[in-house]
Amino acid sequence: MDIWFVISNAIVLACIYGTLAIGVSITWSSLGLLNLAYGFIFAFAGYGAWLVSQHVSDWGPVLLAAGILIGALGGVLVCAIAFIPIHDKPNYTIRGLIATLAINLLGTQGLLWWFGPRSKTLPEIFGGWKISLSGMVLTADKVGNVLTSILMLIVVLRWMQSSRRGLEIRAMMMNPHAASIVGIGVRRTSFYVMAITGGLAGLAAVLLSQTYYISPFGGLTPMIKGVSIALCGGLGSVRGAVIAAIVLGLNESITTFAIGGQYVLITQFLFIIAILLVRPRGIAGILDKAREA
Amino acid sequence: MNYISQDLPDINNQPAAKREVLNVSGLSAGYGPMRVIHDLDLVVKSGERVGIVGLNGHGKSTLFYGIAGLTGWQRGSIKLNGIEIGRTRSQGPGRYTHEIVRAGLALIPQGDEIFHGLTVEEHLDSGAFTQRAWRERAQRKQRVLQIFQPLRKLMNVPVGRLSGGERRMVSIGRGLMADASLFLVDEPSLGLAPKIGKSVIEALMGVELGESAMVIAEQNVALLEGRVDRILGMHAGQLKGEASAATLAIHDYAGG
Repeated sequence: MDIWFVISNAIVLACIYGTLAIGVSITWSSLGLLNLAYGFIFAFAGYGAWLVSQHVSDWGPVLLAAGILIGALGGVLVCAIAFIPIHDKPNYTIRGLIATLAINLLGTQGLLWWFGPRSKTLPEIFGGWKISLSGMVLTADKVGNVLTSILMLIVVLRWMQSSRRGLEIRAMMMNPHAASIVGIGVRRTSFYVMAITGGLAGLAAVLLSQTYYISPFGGLTPMIKGVSIALCGGLGSVRGAVIAAIVLGLNESITTFAIGGQYVLITQFLFIIAILLVRPRGIAGILDKAREA
Repeated sequence: MNYISQDLPDINNQPAAKREVLNVSGLSAGYGPMRVIHDLDLVVKSGERVGIVGLNGHGKSTLFYGIAGLTGWQRGSIKLNGIEIGRTRSQGPGRYTHEIVRAGLALIPQGDEIFHGLTVEEHLDSGAFTQRAWRERAQRKQRVLQIFQPLRKLMNVPVGRLSGGERRMVSIGRGLMADASLFLVDEPSLGLAPKIGKSVIEALMGVELGESAMVIAEQNVALLEGRVDRILGMHAGQLKGEASAATLAIHDYAGG
């Protein structure tokens, strides 16, 4: 146990949780949906990747792609069930919350029923090599996790910056009413959003499976962390989510190192409460240069 | 300025050649239990600039939102270029708006319905949402910049940092980016200093309509007088009178 171990762990956790938090954040701000089925999508993608590893191939890139695609499929499924029928009905926010929570409960029970309570393991995606850099030992899964999630986030964010669909999604994140005025179809855009955020959850599921097991309820803690990081970063801000992920990843690995893993959620929420007391809009409140209408 | 022709009587404009861009008949619309628009009829022909004047809360904005399918509920017929876009519906505001926009509607809403974090350029791009407008967006941007010169220097600035007048220019420019046959402009001078409001109206008059048409809702009649082809009065959810720029004759629509 040394300082480098803490820091490298923090970075790995920050990358994975950041991926999840950005998904939560984008969904919330563009669709107005706090997607509580995220944990289910996470587990769904994990089991999907496991099935692929059993029946198709256990080559790393295939598993990553399978996780992302199955996560995207899960996202589209949740969108079709929980968003499309209710998004223009009264009291949509609460209904959406309840609908996604219901999908989460039903889905995880379904996974439990189908796959049984024994957790599964995925093969090592990035191999078993190690590099030693001046006292710091980098294992393959850490390097792979960090590089893959950063690469995926860069691709997603570049796409959102430069493509027409990305412009639609960003417009919807900032002002859904004005977005429909300029002709952005809410329903179609919602499928894109949910597919992308589902894909991010799937990626996180496969990456986290290198450290933890895949189990029906395995998505719950990552989802709670993703939602709380998104909240701490300021819902709707991608940069805020990234910073919050780094800060809270650091907090998690320091807590684990200093006082023990069972206190992680306690220190994490204390930390979030402290930040939200000072900055009610989260970290994004500091970053935001443009004023709202 | 290209509004010289408006002083001539309507007959000289060969009404037979004019196409009906918008035909609203028997439109009622509102929100929840409230009925704002009462059996309204309105016909707008191509090449026309129509002004709608009326007090706050008499349904000018709701009429525009009704045409765009954004009211809480509505019934009655709305034809845009002969295509029926009005549906009887009791919920789902905005569900069909993107189809209506693709059919040729550009709504420039009241106040600042802007995306505060997008830059001016992205904002103008977001207005070009039909396939053709998106392909031609570079030329269209140039055309909008010709009308709103001050935006040239602000292309990379987030819209949230602009002043009220600049925001309004962006908002109107976004509407003009669309490949639309009907422009609905809601209170373009609202909240602006009189001089800036006047220049915004002037800019709207400078837009070449061609085959399309423009409807401007405005509280300040003086701003529209002598600049539009017809002025309609809106009162309690109905169009109550019409003054053409040529004759200033008042026809009573009451009971319609």
